[in-house]
This record gives sequence, structure tokens and C-alpha cells, in this order.
Amino acid sequence: MTRSDSDALAALCHFAQLASGADRVMAIDIEADGRATWAVSSPTLSFSGFNLARSGIFEHDWRGEPVEAAAFRLPSAILHALGGTPGSVLYIPSPSHGAPLSGLLLLWRHASAPAPMTQQVPMLAASVARLLSARREAAREVIVRNQFEDLFESVPAGIVLIDGDGVGAAINERAAELMACAPGRHRAAELAAPMRALRQRCDNHAELDQAYARQMGDVNFASKLNWTLGERTFEVDTHPVRGNGEHGRIWLFTDVTADLLMAAELRRLASSDPLTGVPNRRHFEECSAQIIAAREAQGHAVAVLMVDVDHFKKINDTHGHPVGDEVLKAVARRCREALRDRDLFARFGGEEFIALLSAPVIDEVPVAAERLRHAIAAEPITVAGVRIPVSISVGGAIGEALPGGDQPLLEELVARADEALYLAKTEGRNRVRMAEPVTA
Amino acid sequence: MFNGRRSGQGRQVAVLSHGFGTDQTAWTALRPWFEARFDVISFDLAGCGPQGAERYDFERHGALFGYADDLIDLLDECGVSQCTYIGHSMSGMIGALAAIARPDLFERLVLIGASPRYLDDVDYTGGFKPQDLEGLFQSMSANYQAWVAGFAPMVVGVDDSAVIADFSNTLFQMRPDIALNTSRTIFTSDLRGSAAQVAKPVHVIQAAVDVAVPVQVGQWLAKAIDGATLDVIDAAGHLPHMTAADAVIGILEQRLGGAAH
Repeated sequence: MTRSDSDALAALCHFAQLASGADRVMAIDIEADGRATWAVSSPTLSFSGFNLARSGIFEHDWRGEPVEAAAFRLPSAILHALGGTPGSVLYIPSPSHGAPLSGLLLLWRHASAPAPMTQQVPMLAASVARLLSARREAAREVIVRNQFEDLFESVPAGIVLIDGDGVGAAINERAAELMACAPGRHRAAELAAPMRALRQRCDNHAELDQAYARQMGDVNFASKLNWTLGERTFEVDTHPVRGNGEHGRIWLFTDVTADLLMAAELRRLASSDPLTGVPNRRHFEECSAQIIAAREAQGHAVAVLMVDVDHFKKINDTHGHPVGDEVLKAVARRCREALRDRDLFARFGGEEFIALLSAPVIDEVPVAAERLRHAIAAEPITVAGVRIPVSISVGGAIGEALPGGDQPLLEELVARADEALYLAKTEGRNRVRMAEPVTA
Repeated sequence: MFNGRRSGQGRQVAVLSHGFGTDQTAWTALRPWFEARFDVISFDLAGCGPQGAERYDFERHGALFGYADDLIDLLDECGVSQCTYIGHSMSGMIGALAAIARPDLFERLVLIGASPRYLDDVDYTGGFKPQDLEGLFQSMSANYQAWVAGFAPMVVGVDDSAVIADFSNTLFQMRPDIALNTSRTIFTSDLRGSAAQVAKPVHVIQAAVDVAVPVQVGQWLAKAIDGATLDVIDAAGHLPHMTAADAVIGILEQRLGGAAH
């Protein structure tokens, strides 16, 4: 409320008091349920809330003349202000916006004839109502503004808010920190430079420049783009804010670094084998399908190697499962190192591993398989100071990704490599066996 | 509406109104004495008792006048035409305000540990300095639980673990924001001007040692209210109706014994 509104109400009360000879005049803001939430008075008094619903005042048919007070039940705060019970009372309804029972309350200590000017007092009603409405509206605006400011600073996002006229702008503390400027009110033009500077610092600034350049001059432009600042990523949401002009716009900066890391970690966990850290069977099948699909177009060869640890049950039985687990980890590590980076290697299940060699020269496949076998057999695996001799058997199959083949190639290759592995096992283990080429 | 309770064999109505931090169970020790002589009404003040928060209005109860209006509403609702009013602590001045507003409803008032002003002033000992109150409000809002743990034994004033436990329980029952607002309302009130306006027989009962209301306050009240009596109980504590019930009953016998029938 502006100071002048309450001063004007106080002056009107004072005027009404002089005109009527009343001992107390109050302009009271009263809501529909009878709750008096604010008042100004002549003589001045400090106000505490009260309720007039049961006072009888609103039931009386007021005709601008004071009546005997005994018929009404007035709140003790009013009686206290008056210094006792009144002799007569006059209520002049001045319904204000949002407080329909508001009005002027005039109280006389003694029920003597009122001053002749009393009958003029009801003419103040319209002015009182207008001032009370203005006060209520101003109080409401203060509340809304306070709520806004509280929200503006308490949300976890950085916010830049451009006013509807495009001239003024507000920036909250989080956004100000990002842009190395002061929080609070600014001219919108002053914020353009720090925002541009922030964008230029982003690793993906070229991409961002391009995306935003396309939207230059479009007042309805809305977008959500990730700004990458070194290790941190901000999702930057901008959209128009419909306010009192067409330039209103909000920029929301949300730090999504943790979300992205979490998502990447979840993806990694979903695709890898928890014991050995190499991809799991599901991930292998998805990737292989993609690789083979890509080969099919080119008519290139692919190869599958099935790897099985020899006598693994015996290792477990002799040394215990924790040692068995360590052996599997070492086998996975050695195999991975013996393959080319672009080869896919995964745990297939139990003590079985699988490799997909893409675009191999056919002669090199048995060589690669032999390299795996040698990587394990050449040197015992040491677990907790115990040297354990380990060997593997490898079965390999080579196929050509032909367009229109009626059996999915991967399934066929895995089946043939498995058969070859079986032969390697029956022939004494610690050896490589290649499946015979398929004759068309 | 006020969680009221009515009992007793007498024809005359006695209204028992509790003080800050307690609820109507505070009258348990005195109630049988009243029931044998009066038609007894007790209730919970707004903000107190099991459903107190529902009736508490931060504006209406931002001054003791709001409670006085509640009391008048209660008496009208119960159809009481005249009563003997017994108010403890904050209810002392609540009764005084109601008796000024509606003298017809009150025959006499008994004020136990009542105070019209808690702050010291020129020629007036209220017992508190502004910085005492700021400290009190700060520790209340910082950690209500811890504050209760220190405040309860201090106010009870005697080593009565049952009463300290009861008082702590009813304090814990209050919503902390309401307790804080209520104590602000009480401790910042200045109703000395109203005291002289009470035109009914008043009996002031006061403990000799009371951290909330020094004995000088009781003396001041008894002097300010025309014809008031003062009985000082030779005991400590702000809750003599709970910790020194026999002494209080002795005084009631003497002051009200003839009135009840």
C-alpha cells in the first residue's frame, strides 16, 4: 500500500470524527465472513484482528443515523480502544473489492444527540471503499511479489527473465554466478554480453550458435539445448513469457551433469558383465547385429570365436569360487588385450566367452584364435600368490554376410563355432578348431 | 468448538480457563473442589489442546482481545448468564478484558498468576527486559524441543516431575509457530489501562516466587483493581493450581466459599 492511501483513510476517519462528534471512527476492511483484517482509526490505535460476524452490525438496516449500541456485540478490542462500552453506534457500509463487508464504524461513548454534520458522513463511503480497495490490491501485489522473489531464488535453476517490454530483466543468483555478473535487476541489453560470453565458453558453442542463429528475430522461439561447459552440462530452456508485452522471455539454466552421468552409468551397468567388466551377452548380440547389418551391405566376411576355459569346474573345486572368479577376470583381460580394439569381446555365460572379428582376412582368423589360446596357456594365472595353470579351447567359424540369406548369420556362426569348440574339447583341449566352410 | 467440558453439582457456573502451554487438564487437581460446589465449564484456548491449531487465527489471536471475544462467544453459546471466572496466567487478563466488554456475564473473577504487562517499565516491575524476551523468542524458534526442555522446569519452579512432564507434554502438543506467536502476544501485551476498568470483585492469587510473574505484579494488579484481594502463596512456581493445589483450595474456600451454592 502506498503511504498516501492509509494517510488518506486516516484523514477521512479524522474528518468523519470532527463532523459527527463521535469518540472513535474506524475504517475497517472486513471480509465476507466478518473477519476484520485491517483498520485505520481516529484517534489512532494499533490494530489486532477481530471478527464482526456475530456482532449484529451486518444484520441491521442502517439509514445513516446512529442507533443505541446495547443491541450489538462489539469485539473487546474495539471496547478497549473506546475505553468502555459505547452509547451509540453508526455503521456506514463501504464494500471494497474482495472485502464486501468493509465500512466506517462510528462510536459514541454516550447516547446523546449526534452532531448535525453526522448525516453528511455517509457521503464518504465511496471514497473509503475506493481507498480500501486500493490498499487491498497493493497488499496483494506485495504478497505476489514476495512469493515471486522467493520462488525466483529458491528454485534450483538459473533464471534470466526478460521483461515484456524487452528493456528490463532480472537474473537470479544461480544464473548470475554462471555469468559472473550481479544478481537482481538489469537492463536486458546489459545481460546479452555475459550470456553470449557464457555460450562462447561452451565446448559445443559452434553448434549452439548455429541453432540460435536460425531463431533470431522469432519472438515465439522456444528451445531446449544442452550447453557443455567442460565437465558440466546445462540444459538451457528458453521460451516466451506472455506478460505485458511481446518481448517477455525466460531462460532457464538447469545443471544436468549429474543426470547425464547417472544415465551413462546406468547404460554401462546394463550392458556389461559385473564380474569381468567386459560386455555381457545381451550387449554382444545387439552390437553384433548392428555390425553384421553393416557388413551385409558390403558383402564382407565376419568371424565368431567361441572361447571356453578348460577344466574350469576343477579350478573352482580345488581353489574355491572366489579364486575361480579371479581366473575368469584374468582370462577376460588377457583375451581382450590379445584382440584388436575394433573386435567385439564379451562374456557369453559361465566360463564361456565370445569374440566377433569384423572384416577379417580369412587366413587371419585361425591366427587370432591361436593368439587367444597362447595368451592364456603361455603363463599360469597368479591368484593370491598361487600360480594356477589355465588353458582355453577355441572354436571358430567364418561366414560371409550375403544379402538375402535366409538364416540370421550370427545364430549360424555361433552354432558352427560351438560345434568346432566341441571338437577342440574332445580332441584334448588347449587347442583351436575352425569349423569347415559352408558349401553353398 | 472449544473442546469444552461441563460437569458438577452446583447451580452457579464456574468457568476455568487455563494458561499458556497447558490445556484444560491443568485443572485436574482443583476440579473436584469446584464440581462439589459449581456447574463447572472448562475448555481449551485457541492454539492449545488436541485440536487447538484448527481454531487458531494468527490475526484474531495476535492480541488477547481475540481470546476475550472467544470467551464471550463460549459463554453465550453455553447460555451462561453470569459466572465465577477462574483464569490462570494469560487467561487472567483474557477474563478481565471479557468482563470489561460484557460485565453482565461475570459475577467475580479469580486471577491466578496473571500479569497485565511482562516488560519492566518506569515505576513498574514486570519481570522481563526487552533483551530477555528477544532471547526467549529466538531460542523458541531455533529449537522448540530444546526450549521446552529448559522452559518447563523453570516455569513449574518446584521439583515436581509429574507436573513438569504434564506441562512439557501440553507444550509439545502446541504447534511451534503457534506457541511462538502466542508467547509474543502474551509477553508484548500491555493491559495495565484495562485493569482499572474491571468493575467486578477480583481475587488475585500469586505465588511468592514465580519466574513469569514476580510478586510485585500481583501486588500491582490488586492495587489497580478497585476492591481486589491479594493472596500470596508461600511457594514457588507459576503453576500453583497444579503444584500447590491445597494452598489454592484453601484460598478459594476463604474467597469463594460463601459464594457457591
